[in-house]
Amino acid sequence: MSRVIEIAKNPLLIALALIAALLFLGNTLSPGFASGGQILRLLIVAALLGIVAAGQNLVILGGREGIDLSVGGVVSLSAIVAGNVMNGMDGGIPLAILACVATGALFGLFNGLGVTLLRIPPLVMTLGMLGVLQGLLVVIRQGIPSGRAAPALSEFVTRPFLLGLPGIIWLWIGVGLLMAFILHRTVFGQRIYAIGSNEQAAFMAGVPVRRMRVALFMLSGVFAAIAGLCLLGYSGSSFANVGEQYMLPSIIAVVFGGTPLSGGKGGYTGTMAGAVLLVVLQSILTTINIDESGRQMVFGATLLVLMLFYGRGRGLRA
Amino acid sequence: MTKLKLSGVSKAYGATLALRRGDLALDTGEVHVLIGANGSGKSTLCKIVAGSVRPDAGEVLLDGNAVTVSGPRAAQALGIGIFYQELSLADHRSVAENICLPDLPRKNGLFVDREALAEKASRYIALFETVAGGSLHATATVGELRADQRQLVEIMKALATEAPILIFDEPTSALDRAQVDRFFEILRDLKSEGRSIVFISHRMDEIFAIGDRVTVIRDGETVGTEAIAHTSPEAVIRMMVGEQEVLAAPQAAPPPLQASSDVALAVENLTGVGFRDVGFSVRRGEILGLGGLHGQGQSALLKALFGAPPARAGQVMLNGQPLRTESPRAAIAHGIAYVSGDRGRDGVISGRPILENVIPIHALRNRLVLARPRSLSEKALPALKALNTKFAGLSHSIGSLSGGNQQKIVIARWLIDKPDILLLDDPTKGIDLSAKADLFVLIRRLAEEGLAILLYSSEDAELLNNADRILVFNGGAVSRELSGAERTRYNLYQAAYEAA
Repeated sequence: MSRVIEIAKNPLLIALALIAALLFLGNTLSPGFASGGQILRLLIVAALLGIVAAGQNLVILGGREGIDLSVGGVVSLSAIVAGNVMNGMDGGIPLAILACVATGALFGLFNGLGVTLLRIPPLVMTLGMLGVLQGLLVVIRQGIPSGRAAPALSEFVTRPFLLGLPGIIWLWIGVGLLMAFILHRTVFGQRIYAIGSNEQAAFMAGVPVRRMRVALFMLSGVFAAIAGLCLLGYSGSSFANVGEQYMLPSIIAVVFGGTPLSGGKGGYTGTMAGAVLLVVLQSILTTINIDESGRQMVFGATLLVLMLFYGRGRGLRA
Repeated sequence: MTKLKLSGVSKAYGATLALRRGDLALDTGEVHVLIGANGSGKSTLCKIVAGSVRPDAGEVLLDGNAVTVSGPRAAQALGIGIFYQELSLADHRSVAENICLPDLPRKNGLFVDREALAEKASRYIALFETVAGGSLHATATVGELRADQRQLVEIMKALATEAPILIFDEPTSALDRAQVDRFFEILRDLKSEGRSIVFISHRMDEIFAIGDRVTVIRDGETVGTEAIAHTSPEAVIRMMVGEQEVLAAPQAAPPPLQASSDVALAVENLTGVGFRDVGFSVRRGEILGLGGLHGQGQSALLKALFGAPPARAGQVMLNGQPLRTESPRAAIAHGIAYVSGDRGRDGVISGRPILENVIPIHALRNRLVLARPRSLSEKALPALKALNTKFAGLSHSIGSLSGGNQQKIVIARWLIDKPDILLLDDPTKGIDLSAKADLFVLIRRLAEEGLAILLYSSEDAELLNNADRILVFNGGAVSRELSGAERTRYNLYQAAYEAA
């Protein structure tokens, strides 16, 4: 019996059960909601969110109140940078990828240095960075056009590529495998858990705690930038604040997936399920004609309810 | 006239008997010194009087009447004030508020009377005016004061209770000479007013300067009470050690070091936070003990050698080469290992598998990128076996183990790639006896394999039984080195308790 409860408490299973329930509910409310094509569309949107959440997941796992509120700004900036670099031409894609990764890594580096060297709490540091990015986006929008996606990029995101799935789904599966590999089969991954669960002990065991933290914020920036690039492919052209919608959901997906905000435990598989769940939820809210502000409220409330269940457990005891 | 009398008081924490049979008779108008070795039960006795600990058995008589001190407020009501060894100040509040905290002056029964507060506080600050330094004033924030000033504030707080019975648990540890002298003048004034004072200190000179009588506690039992005028520091140490121990032969001579064994670590004039001008050398195969009372710089020295944080001045030579350890990471790269007694803080990576707790040092020293569970398990198992570690599987969480086994896991991480220097910072704190025995067998074997080992232990018996030489620390400096037949409990105590 206790084993049944133990299994039932598994965040991944909870998320999967909820996804199934929501799909069923959606299909009842609006027949065709759970059709193959519709599910594929939901998965594409979930992949974008999931890639952002991968970086968020790493930062949160590292503990010490780790959180990255600037991901949305990086997504937006990256989409604009990519749009301008490729400007609708396939030949510009490699350079656009490089430019995006560099942009994400740079802002991640700023976040990481602020948190480690200046000892600014991650919440404040990344919120400040979000403000900087938003201001930057306004300035950029006034000076240059937003740019267009190259056809190959749009195709990669929206057209079936292999086994009927578009490239971005495969990219997401790749990110999932990469995350699992990093977290469970590399020394770097073990060190992420180590600094997340007991930073002092990790330091005494020779883990370069500061460098680790900077690296985590940089990875978060890079993942957000890649998502921004794909988002440009999804929507065809970029517009300011296109990435704003990712900040809160990326955090909720991580917490839903079983990684507490205090860090040190959890993983990415649950986060992937969390991302799908949120996208399905969002889609249902749209189906029943709840507008953007209503959806924001539902998401905010979801995070708060989640905190009640698993977000805070360790923080209280530690 | 006896003001306060404790007879047959005992207290157990779980299976540990902190106080077996505590007796104390405190007269009106005296300074009564309480003395005993680390962990002998002094602080527990004080806490019982102050009401922060309830005794399991025994009697407390106040003015001849049996009383129950049910809590700190009850103690206050009975006229008992206490200075706590671990300062109990509110860092973000002002000096005045801290001094008056036990009994804030009120207006209309509800509001703090600011004027009365300032007036009351300044009376006590004025007592120490000449020695406290200008930055200690009523409106200063306690968190911004120096360590000695904070200790003075804690003293003022105890004085401000104006209680007939005052208990000072190591009140002078951070004070300078002039501050101690001024404090003693105040104690003498209080005495002449007829107040009764219990005074705990580890400094023989202070005890003989201020005390009227001394009560010695050994292993949780009151051994006896003597008038200071009729005893001597030597006699007090004999009481603390116990007659058999004084006569006991020293531990067997350490196994002779091989002639070829050379100096592994040499330290000169090393100074850092908590220790100063420390010099010594350790040879391969030797276990060098660091002894003395708690917190005399032993732990700080070991941490400094490990780079957490590094020493401020002085020289360290490792195998004849100058060494500068800026961080644990750098120390590990030079073959230095450090085991903390505070495993929950410094050792255990909580909630993670046993395997991940064993391999971090191996991964660092071999610059591993991939963590292959199978090959790492092959490395981890022999190290765990060397310590008789009991565990169900390497993938189980370290939290599933007992304290002793957790500490074995933490130690095992240093055994995969052997270090040159092993720093043990009270490694047996809070672990069971069989784990301790396993640990000391291993430590001796590591020494025989050629490691140089530094061992600090808060249990004197562990040092006497396991160290080849002992450096006794007192006030952050080495006061004496004990080797060969000198390694007796008596010598250890004498060096630890004499004036620094």
